[in-house]
Amino acid sequence: MSRADRGHLITAVIVLVLLVSLPFVVDSRYILGQVILALFYAIVASQWNLLFGFAGVFSLGQMALFAFGGYVTAMLGFYGGWSMWLAMPVGAIGTVIFSLIIGLACLRLAGAYVALLTLAVAQVMYLLIVTDTDCFVMQGATCRQFTGGAVGFARFGDLGTRALFKANYLTANYAIVVALFAVTMLFTWAVIRSPLGLAFQALRDNPGCAVARGINRFSTQLVVFGASAFFTGLAGGLYAAHFQAIGPGVLSLSTLMFIIAIAVVGGIGKLWGPLVGAVILVLADEGMREMGEFRTLGLGLIIAAAMVLMPRGVIGLVEGLVARFRPQPSQPDAAAPHAGTSHV
Amino acid sequence: MEILGPVFVAGITTGALYALATIGLSLVWGALGMLNMAHGAMLTIGGYAAFTLATWMGAPWPLAVLAPIVVGALVGAAIYALVAHPLLARAPRSFETNVIIATFGVAIALENAVLLIFGGQPFGQSIALSGNLQVAGVFIPWQNLLIVLVAFALMGATALFLARTRTGRAIRATAQNREAAQLMGVPVGRVYLQVLALSGGIAGTCGLLVSSITQLSPSLGADPMLKAFIMCVVAGLGNLPGAIAAAFVLALTEAFASYALGARWGFPLLLAIVILVLIWRPDGLFGRAAIRRL
Amino acid sequence: MAEAALAIEGLVTGYDRRDVLAGISLSVPEGSLVTVVGPNGHGKSTLLRAISGLLPTRRGSIRLFGKPLGGLAPHAVAAAGVVHVPQGDMLFPEMTVHENLMMGAYLEQDHAMIERRLADVEALLPRLAERRGQLASSLSGGERRMVGIGRGLMMGGRVMLIDEPSLGLAPIIIEQVYQVIARLKESGRTILLVEENPARVADLADEIHLLDNGKVVWSGLPSVLLERDELLETYLGG
Repeated sequence: MSRADRGHLITAVIVLVLLVSLPFVVDSRYILGQVILALFYAIVASQWNLLFGFAGVFSLGQMALFAFGGYVTAMLGFYGGWSMWLAMPVGAIGTVIFSLIIGLACLRLAGAYVALLTLAVAQVMYLLIVTDTDCFVMQGATCRQFTGGAVGFARFGDLGTRALFKANYLTANYAIVVALFAVTMLFTWAVIRSPLGLAFQALRDNPGCAVARGINRFSTQLVVFGASAFFTGLAGGLYAAHFQAIGPGVLSLSTLMFIIAIAVVGGIGKLWGPLVGAVILVLADEGMREMGEFRTLGLGLIIAAAMVLMPRGVIGLVEGLVARFRPQPSQPDAAAPHAGTSHV
Repeated sequence: MEILGPVFVAGITTGALYALATIGLSLVWGALGMLNMAHGAMLTIGGYAAFTLATWMGAPWPLAVLAPIVVGALVGAAIYALVAHPLLARAPRSFETNVIIATFGVAIALENAVLLIFGGQPFGQSIALSGNLQVAGVFIPWQNLLIVLVAFALMGATALFLARTRTGRAIRATAQNREAAQLMGVPVGRVYLQVLALSGGIAGTCGLLVSSITQLSPSLGADPMLKAFIMCVVAGLGNLPGAIAAAFVLALTEAFASYALGARWGFPLLLAIVILVLIWRPDGLFGRAAIRRL
Repeated sequence: MAEAALAIEGLVTGYDRRDVLAGISLSVPEGSLVTVVGPNGHGKSTLLRAISGLLPTRRGSIRLFGKPLGGLAPHAVAAAGVVHVPQGDMLFPEMTVHENLMMGAYLEQDHAMIERRLADVEALLPRLAERRGQLASSLSGGERRMVGIGRGLMMGGRVMLIDEPSLGLAPIIIEQVYQVIARLKESGRTILLVEENPARVADLADEIHLLDNGKVVWSGLPSVLLERDELLETYLGG
């Protein structure tokens, strides 16, 4: 097992132990709820990080995929009475299809174009939902739009934990979220280590050579785009099922910015970056709760400052410090690390 | 015709505004290879700057009109100094994407700063002409006419500046081949500063104009910026005349689509068309495929 | 002894973490034409790029008439008097021939001087006068090469660096290009020229350096190099 993988395994075990023991150590439902939220953020950020930090796809439409999964799940529950456990995977698959359509359109273009188009897609999705005013169904005396409109959906089903675990349902939900997080991290790690991951490394280090050897940037990126969409959509569905609500707020620019901030602060292209970033930023957010209206302003400044001052994120910073104090055995073709390359 | 007239007027006006929003973006992309996500914020700040001078400080309108240009240019210069320059110096190879994220953060911060200072409630821009002119049975508001005239004047001035002045030539040279420009003695860092300041000034003015027919709100610039980006993409990033043409064509398309299908379908239809165009021509309608320097 | 126009000592430079030049020393006396030859990929262009500031000087020194250039930004090196005519021309594709030439005069503030230089350049390269209004991207290879040289001449400058003037051109055109270079030498210009093949430049050069793997492996008169078959075989493929 390579040194890097050993490091990952150790980190994974530590993280898992911490996460599993948390409900037994901490009694506060609030803290548990915040950790759940942080994990959701970390999951989405990890997929964005996989796309950007490893595959080089700069997508600003991550939340559109998250929302798609969430909305499909909610609508299947609301209109069809489906169990959440069936709706979530279906939502995830739907998200994959949605993402492939977007990917087919965008991925042949250069980086900035992909960012713009994915942003536009997310924005259109938001606008279509929020401007939806026609009544689709009547719920009692209230008018319900097809897409839920600005209000969104609520009470469309749950994970079944309330019935089973009564008062401890939150802990049960927490366990489910932790499980999804673990599976997502495993998937991400597997992609990085797979031939796909090596192809991305080649494309990054020497694009001319990679292309000459038959690596097709477009198809490799499309595959990762679709695969990461599955977990993003699944996370969206689980989010909807856990909170028993979903609305257009998830498509807001500030949510997207938070996700990106998490990835940037943690370290783009680092496997554990999103988790580190999520922990730091959720804590910072807690701290800034006092600041009220200055919160978003603060978040914006943090993301800009983090990008300019620490392009390699916290993990990159730590790695840099460690390298300075412990001379590494020279690696034959270690390219100079910089934000945007994986250094897993 | 009576119904289409106002739609046409609206489309041309919007086209002029989008074209103005596009210029700065296209210049910055061409010269620096940078997608400035804070461009919309510069628009917004321009609009509010004019308002502040005119209403809060009671300045005469020439000063209030000058304010967005000056403030916008300062914001642009600050973005160069605080964001673009450090990123270019520290992580040049991943600059293109790093700068998008960093300016994204700046945009959010600026938008929220405006929100905190002025509040989130939209209100009217005080500097605007009122009244209409009637041509062939169609009412054309004076403000719309003014907008189109100012937009064309600014575009013309910018074109002349780029074509005839030494600085303008240096900017074009830097955009076309940065290394060659350096070898000619062009101080590329200073050119970048000038381009960002110029784009800020134009964006600020655009913000003033946009707010004069819509309203002032903290997210004023977000929509024009996104549309301007899309127009640049359709034309091929770096192609300024193409982007301006695209601005008018797409604005008219959006206007007619909104009229025919309902306002909420204007932008989605636009996007669908753009996506189809890009599937057909991945480099934009007129864009040259960038030669990848390996 | 008069100060050399260009004096390079122990120059070490390269890309990323690699060093391409491992300690180059050579000097270019004023008014002479010095050539650097060698197989491709071994540092010839790198040398010129280091002199003009596009690459950093990691060790060693570069002096222009005694003034150190190491560490200066490219535009400052240009202002000091180094004219670099780069490999592959690097013209401004969407500018006309005239505009390209005018960009060469960017640093010159004196309009009369600019007019004089333009007249000189167009006299030397009459085709440029004919094609004044044509876009650079629509020119033939030979014409582009001439515009590149003309643009360099518009800079005035004290030392001229020319990177592979024969690259990608037909033999007839290469003849013409070298005729122009000969005229430049006659007019007293100091030139450091880089070529893959020494044959072309043998008549013109005052001194020739053979570069291999980032080091100067042989220096001397071009006539001598052309007699040393073993050098030609080993380094330049005969």
